[in-house]
Amino acid sequence: MKRGTKNDGLAEADLQFCWVIALRSEANPVIEAFGMKTLTGASLFPVYINPDNGHTLVISGVGSTKSAAAATYLKTLLHIKSYAAWINVGIAGYYQEPRGELYQALKVLNQDTGKANFPGLPFSKFAPGSALSTVSKREQNFSAQVLYDMEASGFCELAPLFSCNELTYVFKVVSDTPHTPASLITNKVVGELLEKNLEKLSKLVGAIGDLVKDEKRRLLIPREIIDVMENCHFTESNRHKLKQVFRKWRTAFPDRSLNEVSYPQTSAKEFITKLEQELLNEAKDWKLR
Amino acid sequence: MEVEVIETVYVEEEIIDHSVTKRVLKSFPRAVVIEISRYQEIFNKRHQNFRLQKKNPGLILAKKHDNFVLPVPSGFGMDAQKNFYFSHMYNCIYDCRYCFLQGMYSSAHNVLFVNYDDFFKSISDTIVRHAGSSLTFFSGYDCDSLAFEKVSGFAAHAIDFFSKHPSVELELRTKSIVTSPLMKRNPVKNCIVAFSLSPQKIAGILDQKAPNVGRRIKALKQLAKAGWSVGLRFDPLIYCNDWENMYSELIEDVMDDLDPSNLHSVSHGPLRFPKKMYKQIASLHPDNRLFSFPMEKKGGIISYGAEIEELMSNRIQTELKKYTTRSKVFRCTV
Repeated sequence: MKRGTKNDGLAEADLQFCWVIALRSEANPVIEAFGMKTLTGASLFPVYINPDNGHTLVISGVGSTKSAAAATYLKTLLHIKSYAAWINVGIAGYYQEPRGELYQALKVLNQDTGKANFPGLPFSKFAPGSALSTVSKREQNFSAQVLYDMEASGFCELAPLFSCNELTYVFKVVSDTPHTPASLITNKVVGELLEKNLEKLSKLVGAIGDLVKDEKRRLLIPREIIDVMENCHFTESNRHKLKQVFRKWRTAFPDRSLNEVSYPQTSAKEFITKLEQELLNEAKDWKLR
Repeated sequence: MEVEVIETVYVEEEIIDHSVTKRVLKSFPRAVVIEISRYQEIFNKRHQNFRLQKKNPGLILAKKHDNFVLPVPSGFGMDAQKNFYFSHMYNCIYDCRYCFLQGMYSSAHNVLFVNYDDFFKSISDTIVRHAGSSLTFFSGYDCDSLAFEKVSGFAAHAIDFFSKHPSVELELRTKSIVTSPLMKRNPVKNCIVAFSLSPQKIAGILDQKAPNVGRRIKALKQLAKAGWSVGLRFDPLIYCNDWENMYSELIEDVMDDLDPSNLHSVSHGPLRFPKKMYKQIASLHPDNRLFSFPMEKKGGIISYGAEIEELMSNRIQTELKKYTTRSKVFRCTV
């Protein structure tokens, strides 16, 4: 593993995939697969990052609270945008074999509080779906036909607030079952279980990436409008209005440049009015596409 | 969207053994079934992204506990003295850009209430309460009445029920071409199958995942020929260049070879949204030209404005006059 990316200069990094993983042995294969390096200066939790491909990862430690805290730490530390995907991956107990099978958790139940979350869109093409219970002590009875872990519910409480429910994902690899007790699981085994599923995880990242792109496009504030707002004084209300009107104008006139719109550089309000007027002028011959 | 692609079915624990639940689950043998307490725990969750969820929504099977039948807002529907609606489903498998459901619910999952009998009991009570009144019951207010019929079988039950109450009307509103459940039985005169229609050029852009308009017209004519009462719903009217010709051609296509005696009614209505709903829907699709149009805001409603609305309404009525009597044409205002 390569070391040493500084937090400086990461403000421009377009981080799109935020991994929250409990154990270092679970995290290592993901860190390697996506070429992440240690972020120096991250004091509370170990953080890894690859600004080039938009992946970042935090190692939370075991437990639901730590998972939520680590996700929040990562969000705050790197100013993660609201279109980024949040992914919790790790090992889990399951009521049946085979060990090593990758599942997507479609319902995450906090066993202690009874509160449920329903993260993500299903990607059954790559990983079958299952319900998951987050427990505070390692499950040994496997009384229900669900996955058992110790982190996902905390993660699912917080991550949707950072982006949305459909960009929050929980994937688990079966590590222990009634026939394969947890006592047999070593760090080496954990790493191997994750490694074996890296191909599937990469496909899932590809599918999730399409959603991220879609959401990023939806939330985009075009550069040209940022320039206008920097060059002309807008009240907060007018900034909001300008973003809305400009988006409409851009949709109506995809090939035009803002430079063609003449307006008094000193009046934000008149600029908005000008854009609105151009939309009105176009209304008579409005095209839907 | 094909209903076969539903990957996840969420089922309320209370109705896991309900006969409708069992039948519906048989339609999705490969879907993952997740048990839930109440549908609201997933459907009303905060921080859901409707637009992303609509790419692959799940199906929620639930039990409805109250508000089975509700009065429709005035200005909606035909001239019955009392109009009511019921929603055995929330949301729709189609993805029409102008649909108010996008702004109505925070979730794009489809909810199917499986306790059909409770709906019919409530409808029955409503009929008794309004004995002597002319009543119409609308299905398809919060969903499409027939799009999910192959799975739900609800419309078939509804038609059975209303065939025993010939003095009240049932409207099934749809864009679906799933007519086989109706075609294989004798027409029920007080059941109106009302098709939502737009010119194909408009529908091709806005009515995503819905059958194309030509197939809808074919389906409605097939039903009419078999003796069913059909309705035509030009609602919402979409404004764009050449709309006059497009709507004229659409009306001509629909009316051609349609026996007027089987035409129950025609209604049309403008594109309009409550302000909050418009804002919500437009934010989902900020790059869609439907929402780039310089709309007017009046009385908390966003619309094309009175001038365009009148222009379109007058034109539609003029076209319709060529084919049907004025008494069958209604203008919806809500």
